[in-house]
Amino acid sequence: MSHKPNSSGRARSGLVTRRDILKTTLAGATSLAAPGLMIGRAHAAGEYMDLASFQGAGINWRMAEGEKITIAVIPAGYFNNLETVLPDFVTLTGVEARLEMIPPGQIRQKAVLDLSSKTGTYASHAADPMYYELYVANGWIDPLDDYLGDDKLTDAAWFDYEDIQPGHRGATSVDGRPYGIPYDGEATIQIYRKDVYDAKGIAPAETLDEYRANAEAVHDPDNRLWGCALRGFRGAGQNMYIYPSIFRSFGGEWFDGERVVVDSPEALAALEYYVSLLNAYAPAGVENWNWPDIADAFSQGTLGSYIDAHGSAAVVANPEKSKVVGNIGFARWPKGPSGKRVTSIWNWSFPINGALSEKQKQATWLFAQWAGSKEVQVATTYNYPGAYKRTGANRASLWKDAKFLELMSGFGHNYVEAATESFANDTDPDWRPRLPQWPAVGDTMATAIQSALVGQATPAAALKDAQEKIDKILKG
Amino acid sequence: MSLHRRAATRRKVVLMAVAAALLLVWVFPLIWAVIVSFKSESDVLAYPPTVFFEPIGRNYEDALFGDFSILDSLATSAIVSVSTTVLTIVLAVPAAYAFARLKLPAKKSIGFYTLATQMVPPVGLVIPYFLILNKVSMLDTYTGMIIVYLTFSLPFAIWLMVSYMEDIPFEMEEAAFLDKATRWQTLWHIIIPQVRGGIAVTVIFVFLNAWNEFLFAVQLGGNTVRPVTVAMYNFVSVEQTLWAKLSAAALIAMLPVVIIGIAAQKQIVKGLTIGAVKGGGRR
Repeated sequence: MSHKPNSSGRARSGLVTRRDILKTTLAGATSLAAPGLMIGRAHAAGEYMDLASFQGAGINWRMAEGEKITIAVIPAGYFNNLETVLPDFVTLTGVEARLEMIPPGQIRQKAVLDLSSKTGTYASHAADPMYYELYVANGWIDPLDDYLGDDKLTDAAWFDYEDIQPGHRGATSVDGRPYGIPYDGEATIQIYRKDVYDAKGIAPAETLDEYRANAEAVHDPDNRLWGCALRGFRGAGQNMYIYPSIFRSFGGEWFDGERVVVDSPEALAALEYYVSLLNAYAPAGVENWNWPDIADAFSQGTLGSYIDAHGSAAVVANPEKSKVVGNIGFARWPKGPSGKRVTSIWNWSFPINGALSEKQKQATWLFAQWAGSKEVQVATTYNYPGAYKRTGANRASLWKDAKFLELMSGFGHNYVEAATESFANDTDPDWRPRLPQWPAVGDTMATAIQSALVGQATPAAALKDAQEKIDKILKG
Repeated sequence: MSLHRRAATRRKVVLMAVAAALLLVWVFPLIWAVIVSFKSESDVLAYPPTVFFEPIGRNYEDALFGDFSILDSLATSAIVSVSTTVLTIVLAVPAAYAFARLKLPAKKSIGFYTLATQMVPPVGLVIPYFLILNKVSMLDTYTGMIIVYLTFSLPFAIWLMVSYMEDIPFEMEEAAFLDKATRWQTLWHIIIPQVRGGIAVTVIFVFLNAWNEFLFAVQLGGNTVRPVTVAMYNFVSVEQTLWAKLSAAALIAMLPVVIIGIAAQKQIVKGLTIGAVKGGGRR
């Protein structure tokens, strides 16, 4: 699969100039005379980044030269950008790294299959933060504090792990030990039609009650404008992405000691809120909507607002697809009855497969460190030569970087503020129940939520049923 | 009399309407895909749906030559599907003949176990196949993928071909044997020409299954062996679904199957009817 940036600036002309020939000859001559020197010379400049800034780090980037590693990722703009700049990693380290794109629905199974059978097919993969408990319980991946703390492997000052968004660090750590390096992540925010809200004289919701009132105020299905929508499709990453935020902001706690509790009074109140809100103000069929469907509807001007990943701004603010560009406003998650705003801590991160050889582990660590570094984050966001600019930068410092903010402010009213404050204040590592059995628990909850939404069961019955099933799952 | 005729006409009209309605359910997604594949991404979701729009070819261009070009994957799919089909037929025809005609020890139980491999849901086989292919270093290789495809295409093809072979009257072979023809000669000159229709049907089904296979392709393939069914998924990213490009890619991917279907149509119809009439039977 080839992926090229769209910028003409990168296009290589087929013509060979006299200077090229001279350069090649010179490099050849130098390499013959002093092979050691050539490496430094030839790699002084990367294709996308200045390699000097990497070489400033006090580690030997070529410690795993010649190793071959494959990293599984999903088809997504942010990984395409990483793939584009990957040749710079190869140049820097001499590690032959390649990305393999696997559909989002299959990457988890494929990773688990690889890890559990210890085949070492994927040195690393874009990991779902909710799977770390499972990986760690089985000892499938390496704890990264060993790598972060080893000054031969990591220049702590240069890499600055603490600069990575706290929510994402928390989400990729188990019992306080880091296991993955976040590459791209998101916060969940409110996205609303500023023109419609202004015309009605309403402001974006501060509380969940206000969110319902706003939906009611703008709801006008006869004129094809629905009040709001939230992910309704059944799935651990679909309705079980949005419901946990509501649950937590109602004051819900997933654990009572060792036991997972999903039928608490807070859970019931949260599910009733979700079901009644969507049944009253969301378009018909919302139970089958995942977030691309919601963003598509919003782009068509048929939704007053929705709450979802901050990255969806790139879709709804894309003039090629959207009819509401210029009329979009953003705000933080509304507060729940507990006074909390709770966003997802969703991110894609890179763990190290424990089944690898020592040398391969070093190569993989170099990759994870490289992908999570500020330099690569810059090269795949505002410095990216192609049309798609990432929004999910993993570092707090980037969210203070004027150039990054300039790029982000183009999405609409209050975007930067909403995203920055959400990252800083609203992330909650316990947004979903973190435990090794999450895949089964997540699916069970997803089924329960959808059956309540479509009216197959009352919220209370759906949760009671889910609780019984989860008790069984955890009993093993 | 006229009353009678009118009733008959009405019956016909009602039947046609019902047939059309049923057919529409099946054909509609296809029609929708064709229309969408010529729209711009912003027109795809427009409401009310744009009936008149300027058709654009860009989606096809992007699907074939864009960032997520499916060209390489089409080649991969072709290699895997054609190899699987050829090998299946080469192995299944003699095997089916043996089941239909030879006096084999434990023929019944062998026949049963051949088909029994088809009773395991494919999902249950993914992990064993993954482990085995990994052991023999055949993950993400053409050889590995084709062998895996043979494991389900072969039993199916044998089972299908047996029923066609059994329909051939034994007397035809007897005549050949009297003329001192060998088994292989009989198979080649007498049996195969008789079951041409059956072979055509088998080819279509085996090719179709291999071409459309997704589960094994995604789990056992990788960057080297990446059939079009998996590659198409790049248009369904976590961020958005590019409906127009996805439709264009899907229609391109359909094309080989449609062409083979049309080319073999006559044989298929013949093959299906032969299979349906049980005249000869087992002797």
